[in-house]
This record gives sequence, C-alpha cells and structure tokens, in this order.
Amino acid sequence: MRWIAPRKSFQNILYHGVLILCAALILFPFLWMVTSAFKTQSEIFRDISLFPETFRLDSFREVLSIIPFDKYFLNTVKFVFGLLAVQFFTITFAAYAFARFRFLLKDLLFTLLLLQLMIAPQTLVVPNYIIIKNLKLLDTVTAISLPYVASAMGVFLLRQAFRSIPAEMEEAAVMDGASIEYYLFKIAIPLVKPSYTAFALVSINFHWNEFFWPLIVTDTVKSRVLTVGLAMFAESSESAAAWNDLMAATLLVAAPLVVLFLIFQKAFVESFMTTGLKA
Amino acid sequence: MCKRSKNRLRIFLYLLPTFFFLFFFTYFPYFSSFIDSFGERRGNLVSFVGLKNYERLALDPIFHTVLWNNFLYSILTVPLTMLFALGLALLLNRKIAGSAFYRTAYFYPTVIPMAAASMIWLYLFLPTYGVINRFIMLLGGKSIEWVGDPHYAMISIVIVGIWKNVGYYMMIFLTALQSIPKSLLESAYLDGAGPFQKFRSIVLPMISSTSFFILIISVINSFQAVDQVYLMTRGGPGNATNLIVYYIYQNAFSFWNIQYASTLTVFLVTLLLLLTLFFFKVVEPRVYYESGETK
Repeated sequence: MRWIAPRKSFQNILYHGVLILCAALILFPFLWMVTSAFKTQSEIFRDISLFPETFRLDSFREVLSIIPFDKYFLNTVKFVFGLLAVQFFTITFAAYAFARFRFLLKDLLFTLLLLQLMIAPQTLVVPNYIIIKNLKLLDTVTAISLPYVASAMGVFLLRQAFRSIPAEMEEAAVMDGASIEYYLFKIAIPLVKPSYTAFALVSINFHWNEFFWPLIVTDTVKSRVLTVGLAMFAESSESAAAWNDLMAATLLVAAPLVVLFLIFQKAFVESFMTTGLKA
Repeated sequence: MCKRSKNRLRIFLYLLPTFFFLFFFTYFPYFSSFIDSFGERRGNLVSFVGLKNYERLALDPIFHTVLWNNFLYSILTVPLTMLFALGLALLLNRKIAGSAFYRTAYFYPTVIPMAAASMIWLYLFLPTYGVINRFIMLLGGKSIEWVGDPHYAMISIVIVGIWKNVGYYMMIFLTALQSIPKSLLESAYLDGAGPFQKFRSIVLPMISSTSFFILIISVINSFQAVDQVYLMTRGGPGNATNLIVYYIYQNAFSFWNIQYASTLTVFLVTLLLLLTLFFFKVVEPRVYYESGETK
C-alpha cells in the first residue's frame, strides 16, 4: 500500500526527511542524556555540543559512591523476577480454569478480573498502604510485589492460548490415565510457550519501570528499587546542579532494559502487540 | 459424580490464588476506602461523619482545579498521541530502507522508566542551561521556565507523556494496518478511489477496533498519571499540574488526612469504572469489527 507514492525523487526525499526528523526528535532526549553523563559539570553549563570534550567516567564513579546501586539493582531483580515466578503459577491455573472448565458465575468472575486492567496500583496507594502496614510488611520487597500477583492481562492472554489447543488432546491424555496437572505442565504449557514469553517480557518491562507504588511502600535502602533510588538521589543535595551525575544515574537505571530491548527487539515488540502495556 | 466433585475442588483451587490477591489488593481496598471516606479523625479516634468528606469534595476549590487539570491532561495527551502514532504508522506501512531502525527509534521510550524519562526531560527543560532553552535563545527567543511557569508546566508533562507512549501506540496501529487485506485496497484502487477516499472508507473502518482499544487504555492511563507529576513539578507551580492521583498522595502522606484521601480514591475508582462502562456501552457498539472476529 502506498500513501505517498515515490513517483518523484523529491517526494521520496521529503518522505524520508519526515521519518528521520521524527526519529531524531524521539531519539534526541536519550542521546543527550547519555552524552551528558560523560561531561563535566562546567561543560554542562558552558556549551551546547552533543559530545563531551573527552568521555569521562567521573560522574559514574561519583554516582556509584553515593547511590547503593548494587542494592537497588538486587531489590529490583528480586521484585521483578520473584513476581514473575509467582505470576507464572497464578496466571497458569486461573487461565486454564477459565479456558477449559465450566462453573457457576464464570462470566461474572471473568469480568471482575478484567476490571483490574482499569485500576492501576497507584490509584489504590492509600488503602493498599494501610493493608501493607497492618500486615507489618512495610519496607519490604514482598510488599511491593503483592498488588501485582493477580494479573488480569496474564490470565486473559493465556486463556486465549489454552483455548487454541484442541480439547481432544486433554481428553486423550486423561483417558490414558494422566492427571490434568500432568497434561497441563507436560503438554499444554510447552505448546503455548510464545504466549508465556510475551507475558514475561511485558511483565518484566512494566515492573522494572514501576515507580509510584514502590515509592510509597518503601522507606530505606533495604527495599528500594532502582526507580525509587533515582528519585531519592535527584532529591538529595548531592545531585543539586550536578546534572552530569544525575544523567549518569538515569542512564544506569534505564540501561538494563534498553540493552535487553536491543537484544530481544523482535520478541519485545511482538509481546507488546499481543498483550497491551499492562501486566 | 465423583469426577464432578473432584473437578469442582480443582476449579476452586485453580482460581483461588488469583482471586485471593485480586480481592485483597483490588476489591477490598476500594471497599475499605469507601468505609474510611465516612470518617474524620479527631485526636486519636476516627468518628463517623456521614457524607461530610463528600460535601468537602464538592466544594473543594483545589479538587476542582485538580479535576480540570486531569481533564486537560487527557484531552491534550490522548488525541495528540493517537494522531502522531497513526501518522507514523501510516508512514512506516510500506517497504522502505531502514524501517527496522525507524521502528526501534520510535518504540524505545516504551522501555524507559517514567522516572528516568522525567529526569531526562527535567534536564532538557532546564531554564537558561537546558538544551531546549538554548535552542530557543539561539533563535532569538527568551528562555522559558518550562516546569516552573504555570503556563508551561502542564505542556511540559504532556510532552513527556506523549514522548513515552507514541511509539507503543504506533506499533499497535502498524500491526492493524498490516492486517488489512491487500485485495481490499487494490479493488478500491481499481474503482478509482484516491488515497484520502481509501483512507476514509477502508483503512479507518478497518482499524477502528484497534483505535478503540488504544483510546480506552490511553484515557484510563491518563487519569492515573502521576510519576512525572511527582518527579518534575510536584503538582506545581501552585497546583497547575496537580493531577488526581498526586492529590490523593498529598492528602494521605503530606496532610495526613487518610479519610479525605480515601474519599478521593473512591471518586477516582468510580470515575474509572464509569469511563469503562461508557466506553463499552456507548462507544463500542459503534466500532466496526472485521468479519469473523468476535468481541
């Protein structure tokens, strides 16, 4: 399909010009952040060139000496991958129940589940903070994870996937004396692996980037994740006017996912197409 | 008989974990906020005050500002993001050199945390020394106090919102565009339809279910935006960028008025549910679904 037919080379140039301009506009903020992280403070206030005079690692050294980056990183990994492991079980069982069994109030329960897609954790910070406080779980990585354990998007996605497997396969397996759980884990799950990959990538991205709920429920280095650590650093006096340091910290926080994205680009994009942004 | 009851237990156990957490961290919180919204703290005790918090909500001028701000934020981000996204998708919907590069360049902000995006833009928006202001001054303009000026603060957080989401929606539009059968467009071409006519009578109807999906998620998300408000403006200057979730946060954790914050929470969740209902009861029936696709 051609919207702007490349009949004339002028049109072609215009067409690519628009695409390149848009790419430049969207890429620029990230590029400017990356190169600023290698500048000195005086360079930041002095000139307007994209690249630093020399690529210095001073701000990274400075940032790593102030921010307990390793601890934040570890907390983030614990939160994101611990949660993913738990979600694997919760979504698998619920999705299979919705895909294969008939039961009372099924449609109502499914609607109640899908409504969760409309309510983000930051909207319920006040009541959920009170619940976490009463559970005496404030300032723990577990507390950050709890509101995300039930995942409507995950259940929805896998329900679709399980429904695409012919029911006869399950019947045949059960006929042969296998339990439903055996069939589920040995046959059904391997068959819908792409759906799991899609869900995993979206879940990782969504939770790695999560900020507001972790901010509310954490209090110390013990449980803070990277995004919250970045905000704490930005508020501290150490970063005042030290934009090179702040950009270095920003780069350190954003880099893991950007690298992951660049490596698994195709899988990433496809995952987002199939699942929507939430996990 | 035995198998049936065994399956009943199985279904219960399969659903239990998901619904346990759904209940305790989504439904029960809504309910408990509802209860708390009828109270008022007096000393160490909370006493029942009926609808007092709701009366306050109706008359609270800051809340009215906040509500207006959020409306403004939605009405600015949602159509602009969708329009840019569709435009980019249309441009990329053909075989061209470097299309993989363009896709990556447009999509990557999806994987940048909003916290990091806020820091980057705060730096770009810096008065006098920020690169955007340097550029404006280079062109002979005056430096703008982006996040510090009540006239520009909202625009600043809107720009960040658009930048973060446009590539993601672009990719969804692109997938929808590529699923339009080529034969449909060819027959329209043979019938003598021009590009605009083709767009209006074939492309637009064929992507209407996708547009509907993007519309819902972007409206719903815009009413829950908070990260860039917290990190870039703190709702300021003078509440110019205060949005609902941030106002809830302020009431709960700065003014320590849990009851009023709960009232606001009830308001927001109810608003989100009503918006959802509106979209599915009023908007969705007008959406065209491709033949063979069921809702």
